[in-house]
Amino acid sequence: MANPRNAAEGRRQMFESFYSVIALVFILVACVELCDASTVVDVYRLIQYDISGVPFGSRVASLNHHAGSSLFAPGSDLSRTVVILPLRELNETFIREYIEQGKPLGGLLLLLPRIFHPENSETVGGYVDSSEKVNMKKLLVDLEQKLIHSSIHYPVYFAFEDEDLDTVLADIKKNDAAGQPATATTGGYKLIVTSPTPKKLVSPTITNIQGWLPGLKADGDSNQLPTIAIVASYDTFGAAPGLSVGSDSNGSGVVGLLEIARLFSNLYSNPHTRGKYNLLFGLTSGGPYNYNGTQKWLRSFDQRLRESIDYAICLNSLGSENGLWVHVSKPPENAYVKQIFEGLSDVAEELGLKVGLKHKKINVSNSRVAWEHEQFSRLRVTAATVSGLSVAPNLLENTGGLSDTREFVSEAAVVQSVKLVAESLARHIYGQQGKKIDIFADNTSLAVNPSYIRSWLHLLSTTPRVAPFLSKDNPFIMALKKELADHVVEVNLQHDVIDGMFTFYDSTVNTLQIYQVASVTFDLLLLLVLGSYLITLFSFLVITTRGVDDLISLFRRPPSRKAKAA
Amino acid sequence: MTMFHFFNCAILTFGPHAVYYSATPLSEYDTLGTSVKTAVVYLGTALVKLVCLATFLKVSESDNFDPSQELLKALIGFIDVAGLYFALTQLTHRNISQNHKFQAVGLGWAFADSVLHRLAPLWVGARGLEFTWEYILQGLEANANLMLSLSLAALGSLMWLRKNKPKTLIPIIYACAVIVATMPSITSYLRWGLKWHLPEVVGFQLLTSLTMALVSWQLFAACQKPSSA
Repeated sequence: MANPRNAAEGRRQMFESFYSVIALVFILVACVELCDASTVVDVYRLIQYDISGVPFGSRVASLNHHAGSSLFAPGSDLSRTVVILPLRELNETFIREYIEQGKPLGGLLLLLPRIFHPENSETVGGYVDSSEKVNMKKLLVDLEQKLIHSSIHYPVYFAFEDEDLDTVLADIKKNDAAGQPATATTGGYKLIVTSPTPKKLVSPTITNIQGWLPGLKADGDSNQLPTIAIVASYDTFGAAPGLSVGSDSNGSGVVGLLEIARLFSNLYSNPHTRGKYNLLFGLTSGGPYNYNGTQKWLRSFDQRLRESIDYAICLNSLGSENGLWVHVSKPPENAYVKQIFEGLSDVAEELGLKVGLKHKKINVSNSRVAWEHEQFSRLRVTAATVSGLSVAPNLLENTGGLSDTREFVSEAAVVQSVKLVAESLARHIYGQQGKKIDIFADNTSLAVNPSYIRSWLHLLSTTPRVAPFLSKDNPFIMALKKELADHVVEVNLQHDVIDGMFTFYDSTVNTLQIYQVASVTFDLLLLLVLGSYLITLFSFLVITTRGVDDLISLFRRPPSRKAKAA
Repeated sequence: MTMFHFFNCAILTFGPHAVYYSATPLSEYDTLGTSVKTAVVYLGTALVKLVCLATFLKVSESDNFDPSQELLKALIGFIDVAGLYFALTQLTHRNISQNHKFQAVGLGWAFADSVLHRLAPLWVGARGLEFTWEYILQGLEANANLMLSLSLAALGSLMWLRKNKPKTLIPIIYACAVIVATMPSITSYLRWGLKWHLPEVVGFQLLTSLTMALVSWQLFAACQKPSSA
C-alpha cells in the first residue's frame, strides 16, 4: 500500500517542479521584444517649431493607425487612417483640405522619390529625365513651404519610395479600389511609430567657426592691415530636419569658402606671395533665422576689428548654372560696391559667366534679414552676397530643405563660382585690378581642385545640418573646424543661443513599423471553425472508441444526464 | 486582438490532444501518468537526437538540399522509433490494456512534440501584430503529427507487444511502420528539396497522416479480431 502512495507523491512533486520550470520559461519568453513587422522603414518627421509662441509644423509624433491610400472615397472620415501618399500623386484638393484647412487625419506618410535621398548623391545625372525632375522639385518646394507654414494636428512623416513600401501601397490601393478601406474589422496594414511626445529643445545653440589668414606686416602690428572677410552660413532648415542637407543652400557656399581658404593658404604660406590684407573666414550658423549667428558673431568683434574690415563677401547658393548675382545694400554708385562688382564682373567676363548686380535697401525697422551681407551692412561694414538666387528669399525659404539635394547641384558651377570669387579677390589683394592675369589658372599648383570640391559637396549633401539639432561638439562641426584649421590659423568656435523667437521640438527621425494585420472578424470566424472542428472530433472519437454497439445512446447520454441534474 | 489570435492558434495546436484524451476511454482509465512518462522519454530522445545531429551533421551555409546529409538526418530520425520502442515496452505501466497503452503513449509523444516545437514560436510569433497564416498552418501540422504519432504507436504496439497476430499481416505492418517513421524525412524533402510551399506541405501531411491513421486503425482492428474470437 505504501508503494503506490509514494509513487503518487513523487509524481506530484515532479509535476510541481515542472510547473515552476514552465512558469519560468513563460516569464522569459514574455520578455522577448516583439519586433517582427513585415516592413521597418526609417521615417523623417515634419519639423515642429514655434515662432514667438505660434505653433507651426506637425504637433504629434506617435502614430498607430490603419493605412489608406489616395484612392479613398471623397468625404469619408480619415481621422483614423494614415494616408500614404507618393509625391507624384499629390493633388491640389488634398493639400488644400488636409494641410491648409486642417481636416482631421490619422496621419500622413509622404513618399519622396529616391532622387531626393541624401545618400543618393552618387548617382549624379540620375535616371529620371530632367523635365520630370524639375517638376518634382517645384512640387516639393511648394509642398514644403505649405507644410512649414501651417500648424498640423496629426503626425506627418517623410519616407523614400522603395520596393517594400511600393508593394504595401499597391496592396492598400487594391483594397481601397475595391471599396474596402482598412479598419479594425476588415484587416489590412497597420502603421506604427512609437515615439514619446516631442519635447522642447532647451536653449538650442548655434556655433560659428572663424579663422584667420594674417597678411604680411610691412611694419607694426598686423591688426593695422585691412581685412577682407569671406563668410558662408552652413546650417539649414527644412520640412524634415533629418533630411535638410541643403546641397546648394548653403552647402555650395561652404565648399566655396573652404576651397578659397585652401587656395589662399597656399599663397599666404610663402612670404613672397603673402598679401597685404588679412583674410577672415567665417562659417556662420543660424542662417535661416535672419542670419542670427552672423549677427552674434559680428557683435562679438571689437570696434577696431570691425572697422578694419574693408569689405565682406558672403557666399550663398553657388551651385546653379543660371549665372550669379551680386546683392548689395548700398547704392551701386558707392565706391566700394563699384569696386567689388567690377572686380567680379571683369573675371566673370573672362570665365564666360554672367554676373548681375542687385541693390536692395535695408529697412532697419523690419526684423527680416534676407541676405547675410545685410547683417554686415547694419553695422556699417561694406558687404556683398554672391548668390545664384536673383531675388531675396522670404523667411525660411531657400534654406536647404527637402528638395535641395546633390542631384540638383552642378559641381562645375561651384568650381566656376569659386574661381570667380578667388580670382577677383586675388586681383584686389595684389593690386592687379583690370589686368588679364590668371592667378588660379587651371593645371597649375594653384588651380581650383574639383575633387576637393566634390568630396566636400558629398559630405555636406549627406549631413543634415539644422542648427538646433546640432550639438556643440557635433562631429560635423568638428570636421569643419579641423578642415579650416588645416588651411588657416587661429581657428576658434563661438557658441551662442538662438534668439528666443524660435522654439524647436525633438524627435526628428523615427522608425516606422508596418504590420499586416488580420481583422477581428477573421479571428472570430476562425474561433467558430475551430470550435466546430473540436466538437466534431470529440463526437467522432466518442462514437468510434466507446462501444460500437450503442453509439446512439452514448451520443445521447450527456444531455439526458444534464436533464436529470436540472 | 493579437492575444485572441494566439488563443485561436493554441486551441488548434493543443486542443486536439486534450479532446482526444477526454473523448476516448483514456480519461476513464486515468492514463495521464503514462502519457507524461512518454513525454519525458520524448524529451530524452529529442536530446539524444540533438546530440547526434550536432555531432554528425555539417553546418550548411546555404539552404540547398544535400541528399547525403538528408539521408543521415533521416537515419537520425529513426532514433524516434527507438524512443517509442522504449516507451512502449520498457516503461512500467500500470495495469492498462495494450489498446489504451499505445494511445496514451502516442498522445504523450505528440503532445511533447507540439510543446517542444510549437509553443515557443507560437508565443513569440502569434502574439505580434503581424498576421501570417504560418501559425494556423503550424496548428494543422500539429494535428497531422498527432495522427502520425498515434499510428506509429499503434503499429509499434502491434510489432512489439502483440504475439499472436495473423502471419499475412506482418509484412504490411512493417511496411506501414517504415512509411510512418520516414514521414518526417519525406516532408522535409518536400519542403526543402522540392521547394513546396508551406500550405502544400501541410496539406500533404494532413492527407498522408489521415491515410496512415486509417490504415493502421484497420490493421489494429484486424489483429484484434483473432484474439477476441
